[in-house]
Amino acid sequence: MTRSQKRKLKKTITYILLIIISVVVAFPFLWLVLTALKTYPDIYAYPIKYFIFEPTREHFEKISSMNFWSYFKNSVIVGAGTMFFSILIGLFPAYAFARYEFKWKRTLLTGVLIFQMFPQVVFLLPIFKALNTTGLINTYTGLILSYLPFTTPISIVFMRTFFLSIPKSLEEAARIDGCNFGQAFRKVILPITIPGIAAVGIYAFLFSWSELLYSMSILTSKAKQTIPTFLQLFVGQYQTRWGPLFAGSILATLPPLIIFMILQKFFIAGLVSGSVKE
Amino acid sequence: MSTLNREEKSALKMVLPYVILTVLLFVFLLGSNLFNSFTDKNGNWTLQNYIDNFTDPVVGRTLLNTIVWVVGSVSGQLLLGLFVALLLNESTKGQIIFRSIILILPWAVLDIVAGVMWKWMYNDMYGVLNDVLVKMHIIRDYIPWLATENMAMLSVIIANIWKGFCLSGMFFLAGLQTIPIDLYEAAEIDGANSFKRFWTITVPQLKPVIMTTLMLTTIWTINYFPLIYTMTGGGPGYGTETIVTYIYKLGFKFMEFNRSASLSNVLFVIIFFIAFLFLRSIAKEEAR
Repeated sequence: MTRSQKRKLKKTITYILLIIISVVVAFPFLWLVLTALKTYPDIYAYPIKYFIFEPTREHFEKISSMNFWSYFKNSVIVGAGTMFFSILIGLFPAYAFARYEFKWKRTLLTGVLIFQMFPQVVFLLPIFKALNTTGLINTYTGLILSYLPFTTPISIVFMRTFFLSIPKSLEEAARIDGCNFGQAFRKVILPITIPGIAAVGIYAFLFSWSELLYSMSILTSKAKQTIPTFLQLFVGQYQTRWGPLFAGSILATLPPLIIFMILQKFFIAGLVSGSVKE
Repeated sequence: MSTLNREEKSALKMVLPYVILTVLLFVFLLGSNLFNSFTDKNGNWTLQNYIDNFTDPVVGRTLLNTIVWVVGSVSGQLLLGLFVALLLNESTKGQIIFRSIILILPWAVLDIVAGVMWKWMYNDMYGVLNDVLVKMHIIRDYIPWLATENMAMLSVIIANIWKGFCLSGMFFLAGLQTIPIDLYEAAEIDGANSFKRFWTITVPQLKPVIMTTLMLTTIWTINYFPLIYTMTGGGPGYGTETIVTYIYKLGFKFMEFNRSASLSNVLFVIIFFIAFLFLRSIAKEEAR
């Protein structure tokens, strides 16, 4: 075999393997979508009906009538709040860790990550008690506050890498042109960092979007609960109502899926330089 | 403080409020757990909660389960992640599409959704997995995936590999893209085949990334809770009960807050120890 033939063969094998893996990885989710479109007799059909069945909207209508969109709205509120404060709180520490040399920098950076090391479940009880004493239980504020220790470390590490990628000379040039620090930050650095900030914001948003344990423990009244708690309603110990459960699952998964796909470049860049370098 | 220059001062002004607040919160939460773990239900000082951890056979079982869960999930995720990253790195056309399906889809699926999705696929009567495997002649009889302890553990590990391998894949893919291409060209001229190039260039160059990924994935897997919670709830029996699901059960099902806190602290020590070992070997690697 010549070298170019060998190359071509290697390419072909690569693509065949990629297609196989894609099918295997996508199949579970595809199956979920198909199940959500079936009537109950078709869901419990034997032998299994794969692609030939009468599609139905009944499960989507069912969850709409069960106030799904109200849970959706609550999820958006908590997600937006978590996003906003994760960015705001993380912005300046991230900038300092990227730009300045100072004593204890490494130690402090490690200290920032401390909440990333431990499972959320071990902090649930003390957080619950603290929120209870301060009257923040069953409030969006309480839930958002309890998410921040877990989201801000990642937001700092992410944004730091984006700040690192901006040449220092750019900032210095702005300072020479007479900008003070605030102006230089707002007019020069922030615009370039917007993709990074967006990536962090969406990370924080999705963290809260999919979080089940804290949201179901802290938001005790039905009117305030979020999507994961809603989905949990359909999971019984003996019987699970697959139809509405999967219809809700699809509607819950679509927003993160679309956002991730559009912004994947930033995520991969941010994730990697953030946690791999240094 | 007078030895600090201006730059250091402004840096610390930006960093310290956050760090101090975080550390205070951490100390408060840890202290609260410590206090709870050394008291009984009436608030009296006791060591009983820790003694119970040693005498309760379930704790031993959960430790063992956690080890199986972590070793199975982490090795699966890292190997599959590496394989996928190598393939994606080779591909030129359509990389975005493959990346979207293979790396993004499992990641974007909510934890609880991933749990119920796999639970439905594993269903012993109507589950699609049994049907497909029988049709492909891989198995002859339907397997009751979640009904026996060992199969249930295997099943949740498979689901977890599906959910988590994409993260390793992303780390590795980005790591691969930083390896200078002339290293490979030089080796090819020297006559090294692709297998040899993989072992002499890719693996050593990727080693720091592999170490970091191994550490993060290990800790995240120990801490990962929603998948087991929605798929098996720790059962059948205690077949898939890990330390975190048991901490949750003790605290929020059995209302044994103090024991839950004491087991939390045991887990703290374990995680600290693991992180310490990893960080030390990573630091050693860097110093070389």
